[in-house]
Amino acid sequence: MYSNNYAAGMLLRIDSTSTEPLFAQLAGQVRAAVARGELGVGERLPGARELAGSLDINLHTVLRAYQELRDEGLIELRRGRGAVVTAAPQDNAELHAAIGELVRVSRSLGIAPQTTTALVKEALR
Amino acid sequence: MSTVPHRAVTTVLTLVVPAAFVGTTVAVAAAWSADLPDPVAVHFGGDGPDGFSSLAGLIWPSVLATALVALGCWALAFFWGRTSVVRRMAAGTATGLAAFLAALVLGILDLQRGLTDAAAAGDVDTVTGVAIGIGFLAAALGAWLTPGDARQPTRESVPADAPRLPLSADETAAWVALAQSRTILVAGGAATAFVLSIAVLAELWVLALVAVALAVTMLAMARFSVVVDRRGLTARSALGWPRLAVPMDEVTQAEVVDVSPFPEFGGWGYRVGRGGRVGIVLRAGEALLVERTGGRSVVVTVDDAATGAALLNTLAARVRANPPTRDTSGSR
Repeated sequence: MYSNNYAAGMLLRIDSTSTEPLFAQLAGQVRAAVARGELGVGERLPGARELAGSLDINLHTVLRAYQELRDEGLIELRRGRGAVVTAAPQDNAELHAAIGELVRVSRSLGIAPQTTTALVKEALR
Repeated sequence: MSTVPHRAVTTVLTLVVPAAFVGTTVAVAAAWSADLPDPVAVHFGGDGPDGFSSLAGLIWPSVLATALVALGCWALAFFWGRTSVVRRMAAGTATGLAAFLAALVLGILDLQRGLTDAAAAGDVDTVTGVAIGIGFLAAALGAWLTPGDARQPTRESVPADAPRLPLSADETAAWVALAQSRTILVAGGAATAFVLSIAVLAELWVLALVAVALAVTMLAMARFSVVVDRRGLTARSALGWPRLAVPMDEVTQAEVVDVSPFPEFGGWGYRVGRGGRVGIVLRAGEALLVERTGGRSVVVTVDDAATGAALLNTLAARVRANPPTRDTSGSR
């Protein structure tokens, strides 16, 4: 925290043809960034208005994503300060290792990615 | 490579206007010389004048300083002024300093008109304050009178060897980062506190103005938000100003470079560097370099610059390959 503190850049993508709603795509990427430790506690998410302009999407789409993240306790929405990450990123190393293993196995068996994610979704239900 | 634009205006604002301030100072001082004590007071302490010199001894240093700065600014803007920011900084500095020194010298002389002994001259604080105000006003005016950059859109494709990001045709993306310097905040805060405490202790209220100017400059320079999106590159100070933007259609290519602030930019902050490169330079090391049309270039020291550069190249290449239909008939 001493000397210069630079928040790393954050890349946010939107796929307009995906079946996943735009707000869910955004929220998912923020969730993943926090889980990977790229977004730390106290770090700020881009302003909703700016982000909507950058991605050429509706402001309410971004706000909905941020509200969902707030309801999960991942961020805090403060008037004038924007969205700030509040949840400490837990150590998910084990989970990442398991995901890596899952990807390896499903590839080696030649299972389509959609099938694998469907199976995971099913199992998480 | 295209030539530097607006050289005539540059010459007027960086040489002719300062020369006019110098000429006015000399002419007015000459007209007043019969009413002035000899020697005149040239330096003021807490209890009034404490340094004296001939009239010429007061005027020449200010003429020399104005001439040196004006020439330096002229050369900078004339040879390296491809970007309007460079020309603006040069014009603002040259006119601002010339106006400040002219106002200061004439104000100091005005205090002494009709006196036989310069030691009887009154307080100089008001003169200094007014001169600083005039200096800033002239600087702002010089910068404002400087013509901006003409739009220079390109349709040339992005070089194939420029880094790219995998992005499907249906995807759009934005890269958001923060460039900030704790050092500038801490050093600027310390400098402000130091100047302010001297202002209070010595009751030099002009210095309080300097402290405020320092604080604002520091806050404007310490933190920039950096965005790469469909519109291009935008870096905006936390105060909202200054702002640096490269529209997508003026992006030639982007890459990652290593920046050494002092050798390349003469220091830290929003800077003009060697060759007229404009930089938001807040630390040494990794930086996003954007080559821009018209032989211009911009650099921002920011982490993960590789992602920003790759996205900028990718989005620029995509627009060049499929120009938007509303392209040329825009209402610009």
